[in-house]
Amino acid sequence: MKPAPFEYFAPRTLDEALDLLESEGSEARVIAGGQSLVPMLALRLARPEVLIDLNRIPELSRIRQEGSTIHIGAMTRQAHALASSLVFEQLPLLHYGLQNVGHPPTRARGTLGGSLSHADPAAETPAVMLAYKADMVLKSKQGERIIPADEFTLGTFDTAIEPGEILAEIRVQAKPNEGAALVELSRRKGDFAMASAAARVSLAADGTCAEAHLIVGAVAPVPLRFDAVTDALKGQKFSEAVVREALELMDLELFEFDNEDISLEYRRKIGPVMAERALLQAFKRAEGMQK
Amino acid sequence: MTIGARIPRVEDARFLRGEGRYVADLAMPFMVEAYVLRSPYPHAIIRSIDASEALKLEGVEAVFTAADVPADLGPIVCRIPTHGDLSPYLQHPLAQDRVRYVGEPIAVIVAKSRAICEDAAELVEIDFDPLPAITSPYRAIEPNAEPIHEAGNLAGDWGFDLGNVEEALKSAAYTVQESFSVQRHTAMPMETRGLLASYDRGRNLLEVHGATKVVHTNRNMLAGMLGMSEQDIRLVEPDVGGSFGARGEFYPEDFLIPFAAKRLCKPVRWIEDRVEHFGAINHSRDSDFVVTVAADENGIITAFDVKLVTDMGGYIRTHGDVVPSHAAACFPGPYKVRNYRINTKTVMTNKTPTGTYRAPGMFEANFARERAIDRLADKMGLERAELRRRNLIPAEMMPWHVGTESVKRPTIFDSGDYPAVFEKALAGYGWDAPFEREENGWLRGRGLCAFVEPSGLGAFEGVRLEVDQRGNVTIFSGSSNQGQGHETVLAQIVSSIIDVPVEKIAVRHGDTGIITFGGGTYASRTAVLCGEALYNASHGIRDKALKTASAKFNIPVEELELREGAVWQAGKNEPLITLGGIARILMPGNPEFLKPPSDKNIPDHDGLVVTSYIRGVPGGTWAFAVHIADVLVDPRTGETKVEKYFVACDVGRQLNPLIVEGQLIGGVAQGLGGTFLEELTYSEDGQLTTGTFADYMMPNVYNMPPVSTLVLEDVKPEGNVLGVKGVGEIGPSGVAAAIGNAIADALKSNTGLNILPFTPERVLSAVPTVTR
Repeated sequence: MKPAPFEYFAPRTLDEALDLLESEGSEARVIAGGQSLVPMLALRLARPEVLIDLNRIPELSRIRQEGSTIHIGAMTRQAHALASSLVFEQLPLLHYGLQNVGHPPTRARGTLGGSLSHADPAAETPAVMLAYKADMVLKSKQGERIIPADEFTLGTFDTAIEPGEILAEIRVQAKPNEGAALVELSRRKGDFAMASAAARVSLAADGTCAEAHLIVGAVAPVPLRFDAVTDALKGQKFSEAVVREALELMDLELFEFDNEDISLEYRRKIGPVMAERALLQAFKRAEGMQK
Repeated sequence: MTIGARIPRVEDARFLRGEGRYVADLAMPFMVEAYVLRSPYPHAIIRSIDASEALKLEGVEAVFTAADVPADLGPIVCRIPTHGDLSPYLQHPLAQDRVRYVGEPIAVIVAKSRAICEDAAELVEIDFDPLPAITSPYRAIEPNAEPIHEAGNLAGDWGFDLGNVEEALKSAAYTVQESFSVQRHTAMPMETRGLLASYDRGRNLLEVHGATKVVHTNRNMLAGMLGMSEQDIRLVEPDVGGSFGARGEFYPEDFLIPFAAKRLCKPVRWIEDRVEHFGAINHSRDSDFVVTVAADENGIITAFDVKLVTDMGGYIRTHGDVVPSHAAACFPGPYKVRNYRINTKTVMTNKTPTGTYRAPGMFEANFARERAIDRLADKMGLERAELRRRNLIPAEMMPWHVGTESVKRPTIFDSGDYPAVFEKALAGYGWDAPFEREENGWLRGRGLCAFVEPSGLGAFEGVRLEVDQRGNVTIFSGSSNQGQGHETVLAQIVSSIIDVPVEKIAVRHGDTGIITFGGGTYASRTAVLCGEALYNASHGIRDKALKTASAKFNIPVEELELREGAVWQAGKNEPLITLGGIARILMPGNPEFLKPPSDKNIPDHDGLVVTSYIRGVPGGTWAFAVHIADVLVDPRTGETKVEKYFVACDVGRQLNPLIVEGQLIGGVAQGLGGTFLEELTYSEDGQLTTGTFADYMMPNVYNMPPVSTLVLEDVKPEGNVLGVKGVGEIGPSGVAAAIGNAIADALKSNTGLNILPFTPERVLSAVPTVTR
């Protein structure tokens, strides 16, 4: 379990990293927190000839607010974002989502941008960003491209990042006054989900649902958005029965994954249960905010 | 008296300080690293191997293949008796012309670093001719199946037929027939295997660090394979980070690494990495049962009729067929059932070879039997504990001869009052106490199982006890220590007899250089066998000390006593002489008590040293145990939470209750892993698909319920002087059975839950549609 030989660069600025990425071409690979890439290197499943390490670029690991937009550097550690009061207050779904990402040791190294760029279908961060309709800021020597979340994750381990590009920042509109929850079912806490659900709920003054978002992850190559369900909830008072009725509108045909150990049939059973739990939990939190 | 004292383990201090020394902590000048090149194919003919390009890589010292080992080198032999001749299925250290599982060693690459080894491995050109892979034992024994070995794929077909099963089945008021499957999984010690071998050519001495478990046996096997004298080889056990039965057996690497060191005359180190471990360590369990249980109208079980199929993997290893053998010998468990029949088929497949894993054969058999008994209780409408109560072997029928045998030793449950322990267990847990059946849509259930667990197996064990001139005591044990706490428990035994504090007693173990013979550690045997040898040796030290003091001070032995590390005359306030003083007197050549100078032999002056070897009781000693669990199940997802877990057992006598409790709790954790999570799976084309910890799930803190224990010391076995029974395997042995029964109780449905592990999906499929 020793990686095949590779050349290693540790640039100090994003520009330097982009220069390297251009000069080393397709043989180069960017490494962030290394929580997925390092095991793949050790198993020799990934064999880049050049590794460009982004860990020493301070400009990539900041979280800041500009007006109503939260800017999150791609190299922000998951642990850092989880502990951030700005994230907790302005982007509660990201906070709850990160609680489900791996374990404290992996979150201490793992980065937000790394997780998004890796695009594991069972990962939480793509579902969270889809729920927020976040923007991904891609930088290259040619300049900058801004890609909305629903066009960023393209499939299993597949994103809109082009050769020569680095995911530099994630921009999210602050959502301070809503309830959020991410619920998932995995064989063991912290492991890959068999199905996950991310929900955002904001309430009108009368306690009815003003706006809601529901994403289900880990059941298809990309996280799935179920607007039909959340549209049906709009204007309604939340209850278990109401949520269950709305979830009848969840199109289970969109679920795709069917493995020997986790069948499609099973995912179709647990997906709505996770969604129900997430919606009810998000609602409770939203209600708590009104009090 | 420190036997029975609940004291923390003395070895923990060094582990907590980071001062443990494991094999990967060891290094030697001029040391090189070895890497084992393993088969990527589950089944293939090797046409040719060309290592010339690999040898050109800078830093590579050697590449050894089957062509480099002596032509007359035989396979690695089985160290215990088997059912029938399994010699056609043994494994050679390096694949000869055929590979039979993914991970089979083909070559050893030695280089300056492990990384260079792995680069070189990619340059070794091997011409394979792939053959069809067989991953199912049922497919393997079909008539047209590709033979994996010349002798065929059915390695063993044997069993027992006791009483009159046919008659019992015919006249039964109730019968239940069910199939059960226990998945392939195995030991995942925190520290993987590793060896550091060095050879001193001038003196012809070979030293191997990293051995464990059965070091003397392995030393003798290695001597035979290398054509060396046993005394020219020393195997040394460093600190060992767990084994659970899998580490320390004689594996291909246990020949290959010393062989390479001897060839190269350089120290060679090999540290198994985790990916290697998954494919190379003995796998275990992998057994299917078809169980028919019959009972009369009063709930008396009249027969067990069992079919057992065990997937042995690509070769038979040092353990032979002990896993199915134990399962077959012990299947009837703690019940007085005289009509018992089992047919066992041991089958070769293209998977990693198998061996023992904590509670070998017992975890499997207990699951199948105890789930079947719950079915029977359901069918009869009889309360589950009551059915068991009516069938337990009563105390007056002890010792109970099952009528079977395993590894050529009769299965004899030597002692115990099973019904009494059973009642204490039920009362201790509150089995009959009512509980809420539902909570927030989740369903609660309670389950139990009863079983017997062997311990103290093996022919003999030995120790040498030495006291130095300062009164320090050293135990040289023939057994090995892989983390069980021997350094504490063995010292406690000695301390309690010669009254020297535990801190002044050192324990040395697992080293062929320190004691001539040793049995080793397996089958929960050290407390039973090593304990007895130490008891005898300690009394030997005591007698020798008193006799010597008696001669020196001319006081009759009867007036002397040994306490606080010294000899005292009864009634006096000052000791006569310390143990250190006695040791000085007894030093060879000390003139104080020498016989006349003409007598060259000095028989009484061999130091304050006693060696003791004791024989084992052929059937060992058996503990009875009960597991009980409460679980919560979500009928919508199949998620299961174990709310609380309880283990009750009679172990005769506890040497250290803290260690006993630790063994039980740790064992339950391991059992939960086997029940819910751990599985070694293969793709149809023979690739191991759970080759990292991302896929092979170990239980962690979130999976652990609170575990409480009730450890009884009611009936002491007569077969050993301390009256102890081993506790190492009582923890895991009943977990799958108790949990399965608890989930079935929660679902109020006993269909399903026959296949391990209990994934949420499998649990959900057992939920009756009406409940859903």
